[in-house]
Amino acid sequence: MSRFQRFPTASPRRILACRAAALFVAIAIVGLVLAACGRNVGELGRLVLISTIGSRFGLEDLALFMSPLLLTGSAVTVTRRMGLWNIGGEGQFYLGAVGAAGIGLFVHGPAILILPLMALAAMLCGMAWIALPALARAFAGVNEIITTLLLNFVASLLVYWLATGPWRDRVTGALASSGRLPVSIPDMWGVVHWGFPLGLLIVVGLAAVMSSTRWGYEVRISGASAGVARYAGMPVKLRIISAMLLSGALAALAGMFEVAGTVHRLQGGMADNFGYLGIVVAVLARGSCLAVIPAALLMALILDVGIVLQTQQVAATAVLAITGLVLLLVAIADECAHYRPVTPAIVRPARSAS
Amino acid sequence: MTLPGGTPPVLQLQGVSKYFPGVIANEDVTLDVRPGEILGLLGENGAGKSTLMNIVTGIYQADAGEIILDGYGAEFASPQDAIRAGIGMVHQHFKLVPAFTVAENIHLGWSETPKWTSKAVLEARTRALSERFGFPVDPSARVESLSAGEQQRVEILRVLSREARLLILDEPTAVLTPQETRELFAALRAFRATGNAVIIISHKLDEVMDITDRVTVLRAGRNVGTWNTADCSPEMLAATMVGREISRQNLRVRSGDAVGVSDVPVMTLRGVGVRNERNVPTLSDVTLDIFGGEILGIAGVAGNGQRELTEVLTGLIAPSSGVILLDGASAPDNAAAFAAAGVGHIPQDRLNSALAPSLGITDNMALREYGQPPIGGGALYHGGAARSLAEEIATTADVRIPDFAMPVRNLSGGNQQRLVARREIRIADRVLVAAYPSRGLDIGAIAAMHGYFAALRDKGVAVVIVSEDLGELLSLSDRLGVLCGGRLMAVLDAAEADIERVGLLMAGRGGAS
Repeated sequence: MSRFQRFPTASPRRILACRAAALFVAIAIVGLVLAACGRNVGELGRLVLISTIGSRFGLEDLALFMSPLLLTGSAVTVTRRMGLWNIGGEGQFYLGAVGAAGIGLFVHGPAILILPLMALAAMLCGMAWIALPALARAFAGVNEIITTLLLNFVASLLVYWLATGPWRDRVTGALASSGRLPVSIPDMWGVVHWGFPLGLLIVVGLAAVMSSTRWGYEVRISGASAGVARYAGMPVKLRIISAMLLSGALAALAGMFEVAGTVHRLQGGMADNFGYLGIVVAVLARGSCLAVIPAALLMALILDVGIVLQTQQVAATAVLAITGLVLLLVAIADECAHYRPVTPAIVRPARSAS
Repeated sequence: MTLPGGTPPVLQLQGVSKYFPGVIANEDVTLDVRPGEILGLLGENGAGKSTLMNIVTGIYQADAGEIILDGYGAEFASPQDAIRAGIGMVHQHFKLVPAFTVAENIHLGWSETPKWTSKAVLEARTRALSERFGFPVDPSARVESLSAGEQQRVEILRVLSREARLLILDEPTAVLTPQETRELFAALRAFRATGNAVIIISHKLDEVMDITDRVTVLRAGRNVGTWNTADCSPEMLAATMVGREISRQNLRVRSGDAVGVSDVPVMTLRGVGVRNERNVPTLSDVTLDIFGGEILGIAGVAGNGQRELTEVLTGLIAPSSGVILLDGASAPDNAAAFAAAGVGHIPQDRLNSALAPSLGITDNMALREYGQPPIGGGALYHGGAARSLAEEIATTADVRIPDFAMPVRNLSGGNQQRLVARREIRIADRVLVAAYPSRGLDIGAIAAMHGYFAALRDKGVAVVIVSEDLGELLSLSDRLGVLCGGRLMAVLDAAEADIERVGLLMAGRGGAS
């Protein structure tokens, strides 16, 4: 006699298998909907494959999408470990862009000096942007979801003001952006800049920090149970603040990469939802740092597919619909992974098994 | 009451088996519960009592065997089926919504709750139910403001209002005062008198002897036997549960190579007081010397300053007045420094304050030693070393762990307690503070826990045990402190203390010795 039973833990392999199945289901549903709209699904599918993973151009695009997602995804993952949500990745991204552009526009020197300076300024700006929510959370228990979210709108408007006001491009007279930065992150492969491998490296480094440092352990414990952290005498407030500052710095670094590697100027709306999509990436990664890499890849694929579909006159909102569908199916898959068929095994009962 | 011959049992289990991967939770369990009786269900932690009751209440489905209700076969696909069939369970941890009133909790998820209703109607209905079943409750009170005993009454009333004929209680007296226990038992007897049946799970043998008509003992998932309570003795039941004789050791006797009681106290409290957030004193003017190599018991009715005392002793809260000395020097001001100085702490609520429920065994076992080599050292955390430590603790605690990454909440309460105890004993070089260490444990595990404490004492460590069980305290302690209203009424020599005197002190009379 065998039946399915829910287990408290699921092995990563089972989760992966279930998620793969979920993705197939998602693709099938999208295909069916498009077919129902009278589209030639075969032709669309071929086009999507070629322009994402089937061509050099498509792969370059994927890497470009992935670089900021790796960082904004890590930013949210760091706070998840602490049991918090940083919804303000978008705002910190903008502030990182502001800090980087400020240095790039007004400090002149060799790129080898200016680029690290831009990164530093970006991270400091991002940390400053999340400092208030972090302090309010640590000392007054103010919900960080609200505070970080609301600051996004402030940051977005700040960038519009800078890009169309004091920092606007006086050379070409463009009204929507700052002037072109004199320095940029060098390209390594086509239009893909060195920010991409750096982003991967940062994710791997973060995973190491989380699993093999005292700080990472304390964040893990404090995030899982405030009562235990107090019992063990851990400095919970300091861990809340440091985890949130790190999160803000990571999201801001994504903004710096975007300014110095892809856009080359500061312009309104440039965060392009990368901050919010970081939340999706973190949810897909289930709080694991390394899993941010495949999660960011999947998200980049969806974005890329969206662009292809747009060129075929499918509405841009299709990206949102597909993202939602994938998240829903992945959540179902994660739950399914906890179920395994069991056959009563005749084993000696162990007194101490739970 | 007398029943006509041939009345079928309310509930009959025949050959019920339930398997989990690698474990037999229940195998071939056959028992019956007759109308108008209270059946005691006994067994050690992990003997399969809870699983069996979860099968009866439809939470689990049996892998083999039959459930027979009033002589007819029954199958419960869900807890709702069992409730409809008249089986109600009161769990050890209450399943009430704290922010709701009593009336709202009673009517929550009940098909007979009127669709359009008002607060007044719900409260009137609740009052009527409360009178009908003889469980006095205040319908308009919020559940979070009620004592454990009152919450339990609400829980029982909710079950009874669904017309339960079989009431299952899982360790109902664990959170009750003696007075509340007496009231509960009186209500259960009244319930029995109307031809209903009760199954009561308990570890307290004297209560089982007092309240039950028959007793069924489970061991390792199997039914060892069922006896009329009148034919049993506590000793015989204990031996049956454990499968071996438990000799009640006199733990005050030290082993031959024991280190004696230290000449100078390891910890000293001078006029220590604690005020809560509303500035009400919860601990007042406690002056106490704790010596190495002794066991100091702290007796008192729960809520008389025990929590504050244990938190002051372990550095979790700083006293608002008075001084604490550790080895003659002024004590550090945070819990981590206390632990580093060799003060171990087994808190009252181990799952939420000593363990991070969602994290793995390894992370939880490293909690006290992650700061030093081999796990810590500098800024690093060595996962491999943490894993070895967790394995070592699990081995000494005699807990079998299938997967060290498994969330610790998946372990049974008894196993969690063993792991916490061993983790704390490892670091307790000077003092071990244990609050209600045997709560929820079976007889074998309690004996093992007491053995740990005695061994620690023999090594010269000061052991402070806070408990409500006077028998436990008197058989372990060298000295016995009594708390009442946040004051330390007296510290007695346990060998000469008599229960009468301690009882008076617990009630706040006859202080100052």
